[in-house]
Amino acid sequence: MSEKTNLISAGSAIASRNKRYVIWFYILNLVFAHFGAAAFSDQAHGILDHSLYADKLLHGFDLGVLVELLARPEFGALPAASHPAMMFAVLFFLASLIFMPGVLLGYASDHRIPREEFFRACGRNVWRFVRVFLFFTIVAGIIGGILFGAFNALATAADKTSHERLPFFTQLAGGLIMFLVLTVIRIWFDLAQTDVVLRDQTAVRKSIAAGFRETRRNLGRLLVSYVAIALVALAILVVGILLWHAIVPPSSVLGAFIVGEATLLLLLGTRFWQRATAVAFYVKGTNELIDEVQPIPAFVAP
Amino acid sequence: MRRCLSLLVCLVAVGVIAENNPPGLAIPATTSAINSSTPLSQRVVAYNMDAKYDAKAHSLDATETLTYHNLTGQALDTFPFHLYLNAFQPTSTWMREGKREGTRGQDFEKWDKKSYGAEEIKSFEVVGQGDFTSQLQYIHPDDDNKDDRTVMQVHLLKPVPPDGYVEFKIKFHDQFPETLERTGWNRDFVLGGQWFPKVGVWWHGAWNCHQFHAYTEFFADFGVYDVKLTVPQFEVVGASGIEVSNVNNPDGTKTVAYHGDDIHDFAWTASPHYRIYDDTFQGSMGPVKLRIMLQPAHWSQAERQARITKQTMERFDKWYGPYPYKTLTVVDPDPGSQAFGMEYPTFITGGTTWWEPEGMHAGSQETIEHEFGHQYWYGMVATNEFEDAWMDEGINEYTQVKVMDSIFGPSASTLNLWGISAGEREETRLFYMGVADVDPMAKNGWQYADSNSYGGITYGKTAVVLLTLESVIGEDTMRRAMHTYFLRYRFSHPTKEDFLKTIEEVSGKDLRWYFNQAVYGSQVLDYEVMKLSSVPVDWYKEDLKEKKGETEYVDNVWIHRKGDFVMPIEVEIKFDNGDKVREQWDGQDRWVRYTYQKKAKIESIEVDPDHKINFDRNDFNNSQTAEAHGAPARKLANYWTCISQFCAQLLAWWLV
Repeated sequence: MSEKTNLISAGSAIASRNKRYVIWFYILNLVFAHFGAAAFSDQAHGILDHSLYADKLLHGFDLGVLVELLARPEFGALPAASHPAMMFAVLFFLASLIFMPGVLLGYASDHRIPREEFFRACGRNVWRFVRVFLFFTIVAGIIGGILFGAFNALATAADKTSHERLPFFTQLAGGLIMFLVLTVIRIWFDLAQTDVVLRDQTAVRKSIAAGFRETRRNLGRLLVSYVAIALVALAILVVGILLWHAIVPPSSVLGAFIVGEATLLLLLGTRFWQRATAVAFYVKGTNELIDEVQPIPAFVAP
Repeated sequence: MRRCLSLLVCLVAVGVIAENNPPGLAIPATTSAINSSTPLSQRVVAYNMDAKYDAKAHSLDATETLTYHNLTGQALDTFPFHLYLNAFQPTSTWMREGKREGTRGQDFEKWDKKSYGAEEIKSFEVVGQGDFTSQLQYIHPDDDNKDDRTVMQVHLLKPVPPDGYVEFKIKFHDQFPETLERTGWNRDFVLGGQWFPKVGVWWHGAWNCHQFHAYTEFFADFGVYDVKLTVPQFEVVGASGIEVSNVNNPDGTKTVAYHGDDIHDFAWTASPHYRIYDDTFQGSMGPVKLRIMLQPAHWSQAERQARITKQTMERFDKWYGPYPYKTLTVVDPDPGSQAFGMEYPTFITGGTTWWEPEGMHAGSQETIEHEFGHQYWYGMVATNEFEDAWMDEGINEYTQVKVMDSIFGPSASTLNLWGISAGEREETRLFYMGVADVDPMAKNGWQYADSNSYGGITYGKTAVVLLTLESVIGEDTMRRAMHTYFLRYRFSHPTKEDFLKTIEEVSGKDLRWYFNQAVYGSQVLDYEVMKLSSVPVDWYKEDLKEKKGETEYVDNVWIHRKGDFVMPIEVEIKFDNGDKVREQWDGQDRWVRYTYQKKAKIESIEVDPDHKINFDRNDFNNSQTAEAHGAPARKLANYWTCISQFCAQLLAWWLV
């Protein structure tokens, strides 16, 4: 038990020591979302800014008024507002893919790595991470697809009985099992990514194999750590929503912004905590091989 | 000689007619199912049915004895009958319309054998005239679909004289579909609606017996129903009327008998799973036994369902008139069935879930309120739902808004959950908005452009039109008019003009200008504040320095009638010194301009400041402020941003 606690706390120590990464990623997340919401915001301002009817949205939240707003022809089609948001979400994903190697290197280091080293790690590993990502999507897609199909079939079968709660609980149980299985796959590929960066591994299949071996050997320990942190994330989300509802007056845009963004920052932090936990596990498990993180050599032109 | 011949012909005719009127026939004057010592309706029919349900085959075999009292004032030799279970066949009119436009969420992409339903006449006897089984004809009065078998007609050998009686003995076999149009089976549940041959209505000098259409369902005469249902003993049964006996049979079945007075339809349900919650509502005509038939998983909702039922009944009793029946059965159908939200006399279906939160009023509570409302607007005030659907669904939707607003508050009568609210009024208006100019209210139900137009106009538009009418004649007057309409036309078949004239009579106003546009027309109402300006009187002076409260302005306001619907409106202009001015505009021109010269600038303008008009197509343009107020849009944008961020994080969480 103490070993498990150590892994979580070791991850926590690493993540707290490197808070700047979470902050930067959060800023990126916020800025992208802000750009993604620009179309929606412009359309809403155009209709609401001079209308007294808009007060129904400010002092409370009248769903009917919102639906009417979205249905107005001058608001435009909803996809015109939702597509930019989706595109910027994809951009954030790509940014995470690109900059995560630098973060992992920083997490594995006992000192603050220079900016050049951070970006060098990002540059050297970008294609490797793309390949790891492709492997991940294949594995997660196949396993997730099979599980999803199986649980869906079960839920459909349960739906044919007269026990109304059975389909719900079947889906709930299926969802939980899928979450655990996908978490295991995530751990596997988190370790693979860590291996890619810290070993400067060009053959990503070797890192994926190493990640698989380590995950299999230490499944319980790693899974408990990841799930525990995920539960913390869930608690943050619930508390954030409750706080938003309880203490933020309906008309306080600033209050809603602060509570909402604080919640999202902490949520993002929990994912970095998981990554830091994987790095702590990796470094601890392989310290006989890697005494300290070697600076990645600068590219020298021939 | 010629006169003698005519006399002879008349005597022969009378003789034939007299011979055709079987002795001893009468419609029973029973009152055991109502809180009244005398019958409440002019009873035209008496149905006596004995049905045996086969739970495995989802089929039913029954005998029906129908006594018909000819109150039409003329001899009748032709009788049409509804056979609505035949609608659930691939080539029926109902199915064609459903395939073309969708009906209640179903578009029948692929024919499923489980959707098959049938009502097969095994034998048809007219007492005293013989067997007519081979002479039955399917007719299709509404379209040229020769494959539609939802209406059949029989020509008698001898006509039924005015005030005479005729008795039909019918044997039929029903095959129920997997629930469609709120009838049929789902797993081991069954709802028997539209299940027996039902005679049409002689109305305005002709038979009114429409085919079964995608959106229209009922029109029938009042009478007495005595129905025996034989089902397996494990079934829990509920039905229209009062239960008069429940006897176990040696073959593992039981026969439950029901009696209904002054009703015009009969429905029943059976399922082994129902749990019964009994309650009583004390109405102004006497106690009403409430029987709430719940799915076991929904037992936690029992008290809530009883509460909304009683709250609704209390308001209807107080506002519109008494509920005279001794029972009301509220059915919670099998989850996943298409049987939820349906009305039959003294028998309604709601539907809920085990998780329905207290603040979600739009679920089972709204449904129960709505279906109970039909006990008045369809059940007792038995309008022709085929031809005047708005008088059934729409008037009911209007009273739904009134009742739900009264119970839960106007801004939260649909939803009041986690700081998010929605009101019935707004929900109803939105229902109408998307189809505002497509069809008028006064239109045959099966001739609307599509299901959206049917729903948006008959339900939505009627409700907002009547809500807006309150602003023209006053809320109290409107309530009095509804009360008068109910009392005057209960247990009869009023027309749209009966309703409209009652409102005019009670209000003492000529409302044709309103009804012609709102009921008979498809004009759309949309007023907007076109623009405003506040220009200093001394605008030309180079050294002009504007100072609040001292500088004099010429203030102009333009109001524009964008839509075709002409209605007098009020406009409120607020100035930055706190002054308010209210203007009345008759709306006859396309636009109007108001000009003021004051030491104040315009702060805001609002059309219909008391929000009396409920069907303005765009409420956002009904007001304009001089200064922009970005907070509402910022609030929404903030929500949007947070949701986008969260989605982006989730994506990155799982993929990187």
